[in-house]
Amino acid sequence: MQRPDEQGFFKNLQRWLEPLLVPVLAILTAVILGGIIVKVVNGDPIAAYRGLIQGAFGSPRALSETAVWATPYIFAGLAVAFAFKGGLFNIGAEGQIALGAVFAALIGYALPGWLHTSLPAYIHIPLAVGMGMLAGAIWGGIPGALKAYTGGHEVINTIMMNYIALNLTSFLLNGPMRDPDPTDLSARTPEIAPSARIPPLFNIPGMRVHWGFVLALVVAVIIWWLLWKTTLGFEIRTVGANPDAAKYAGINVKRTIIITMAISGALAGLAGAIEVTALNYRHELGFSTGYGFDAIAIALLGKTNPYGVILAALLFGAMRNGATRMQFLTQIPTDIISVIQALILLFVAADAIIRFIYRIRAHEERVVLTRGWGG
Amino acid sequence: MKKFYTLMAVVLLASMFLSACGGAAPAANGTPTAPDCTKATVFCVGDVTDVGHVDDKSFNQSTWEGVQQAKANGTADWIQFIETSDSKDYAKNIDTFAQAGYKVIVTTGFNLTDPTYAAAKQYPNILFIGVDQGLQKDANHPDWPLPNLVALIFHEDQSGFLVGALASMMSKSHNIGGVFGTDAVPAVWRYGEGYRAGAAYEDKKNGTKTTITNVYHNDVGFNLTFTDPTWGATTAQSMIDKGTDVIFGGGGITGNGAVDKTASDKVLAIGVDTDQYYTLPEADAYLLTSAMKPIPAPLGVLIGLAKAGKFPTNGQYYGASGFAPYHDVASQVPANVDAEMQSLLKALTGGTLQTGVPDAKPQ
Repeated sequence: MQRPDEQGFFKNLQRWLEPLLVPVLAILTAVILGGIIVKVVNGDPIAAYRGLIQGAFGSPRALSETAVWATPYIFAGLAVAFAFKGGLFNIGAEGQIALGAVFAALIGYALPGWLHTSLPAYIHIPLAVGMGMLAGAIWGGIPGALKAYTGGHEVINTIMMNYIALNLTSFLLNGPMRDPDPTDLSARTPEIAPSARIPPLFNIPGMRVHWGFVLALVVAVIIWWLLWKTTLGFEIRTVGANPDAAKYAGINVKRTIIITMAISGALAGLAGAIEVTALNYRHELGFSTGYGFDAIAIALLGKTNPYGVILAALLFGAMRNGATRMQFLTQIPTDIISVIQALILLFVAADAIIRFIYRIRAHEERVVLTRGWGG
Repeated sequence: MKKFYTLMAVVLLASMFLSACGGAAPAANGTPTAPDCTKATVFCVGDVTDVGHVDDKSFNQSTWEGVQQAKANGTADWIQFIETSDSKDYAKNIDTFAQAGYKVIVTTGFNLTDPTYAAAKQYPNILFIGVDQGLQKDANHPDWPLPNLVALIFHEDQSGFLVGALASMMSKSHNIGGVFGTDAVPAVWRYGEGYRAGAAYEDKKNGTKTTITNVYHNDVGFNLTFTDPTWGATTAQSMIDKGTDVIFGGGGITGNGAVDKTASDKVLAIGVDTDQYYTLPEADAYLLTSAMKPIPAPLGVLIGLAKAGKFPTNGQYYGASGFAPYHDVASQVPANVDAEMQSLLKALTGGTLQTGVPDAKPQ
């Protein structure tokens, strides 16, 4: 005989653990399959994973680097997850990140010259980061407006906006924003002014983890609050669940779609802006590439929940960071990480596979992440 | 419900099993374990690649081959590479070797110039070799030359001279061309001018008169100048239309476009930097040679000097220039032409023959 309160406890525990079940099993399965692949190519999977864990968590410095990797992943993952909540598929995070980085860099290095004065950090940093967010918001808002007023599908338009953003970045970094130093052969901006730099958390050489990581965690909480505790969040989620019902409930669907995409874009722009102001201190072609696409995997793995996104981003960051040590110790190519990440994404997206392997019945109705073409 | 708990138990057990393995297992199977590189007597050499892999059939690969030579000839007790997957990891990857007590750290390619310079300042007791990283004293590198950092660089004009001489001797129409990235990069300009000088040298010797057309892709920005195969191909095409029958493609993917186009028109092509027989297999049947920067041999020498305590202190070390084997075209190259090429190579690398090309384009 179970005591009623005990039963209640287990019920609660189960309710909390259940959403974690499929992602955790997906990760586990991907890790096991990754181990088999390592074994097939004559590697030692245990040594490989040991190296990976050491490289990601083995020392304060390793932890610091994992946080450095996770920071843009959290912002970009939140961007994609936020759009998902509104029923929108933001494939354009890549371009929004690039523009966020470019404009944060521009304000970072050029503003003191324009104003003919040096700025205090508490003004310069928010301006640079804010400009990056604004650029991302505009870049995300345009496909949102196209969707709202013309029905143009945001998947197509965000992909197109990616091309425009990346070529625009390439033009700016080679032309007007290029570092004028003649010895500098790469396409990159000058370094940003010291007043625009977000400081590291610890003043220890080699510890690169910066306040941007803390900001990422705070922003995740804000996004959770926005989605579940505000009217706007309710409207966004309602439009995501059923735009027709939302319309009849008196929600301005068009406005909500544009706002959703703009906030999503701003979050992606923030990812780029923080990379520039807190880590690289300049933008360069080739910096921060692929984060926008990894972000889709992170949002899915995190079940589009802001806290889930943090966990997923930390996992991806840890894997990317630990890969170096894994290769250093075992000479197993870092590409294995991409394989594992792809497997995770596969299992999370097609969770029927996981449910079949582990015989889990789907209790709830499947979450519809996005509607079909023109829906 | 029962199923759910069974499942959770399985998951928990599995994760415990995995983490237990992660914590304790000794390094098993065939791979030899690394010695303790922090010991003064253990000479370890690390290689940080540019973004890419050690088997890229280009600089990453030839650098790793050079490091492997150091192991093969007994200079190095232990060698290891780290492949960079993102440019923000350059410093971290160099650092991984530095923290592990490696005596020499080799970094590959121009993109690692600044991270290598910074690491050399941070770790004055570790020797650094920057492959193809031309440095000079300037605002960003005020302390150059550092006693523990040597750039392994090459006389591109010599490699260009060699393939220019070969092009002049092999051209039937006495009309040769070169398709290059921007001449604002001194290395590219030296390739082009060396090519011109080599052809002129053979002309004078053989009494021929070869028309040389060098075209640089100066009309676009730095991002496109080396990555525009379409421009490379159309430029090569227009040269071929005017009767050019040997074309040198110099400058990244732009040059590759020219080499591909040239080869597909059954005209002889010349590659650049590494033996492009392996990087552009589509062009193999008509690839005459490549103007090479042979990295492995001088890199092996540098690692040897490092171990012997004779590391150069002037910040740079020139590797001998070279040209790639003729491969599939070997049967078309007359014996006397090959003999002339070998003697030119000897004269250039031995210092008895000068290309006459200055270091950079006169302003």
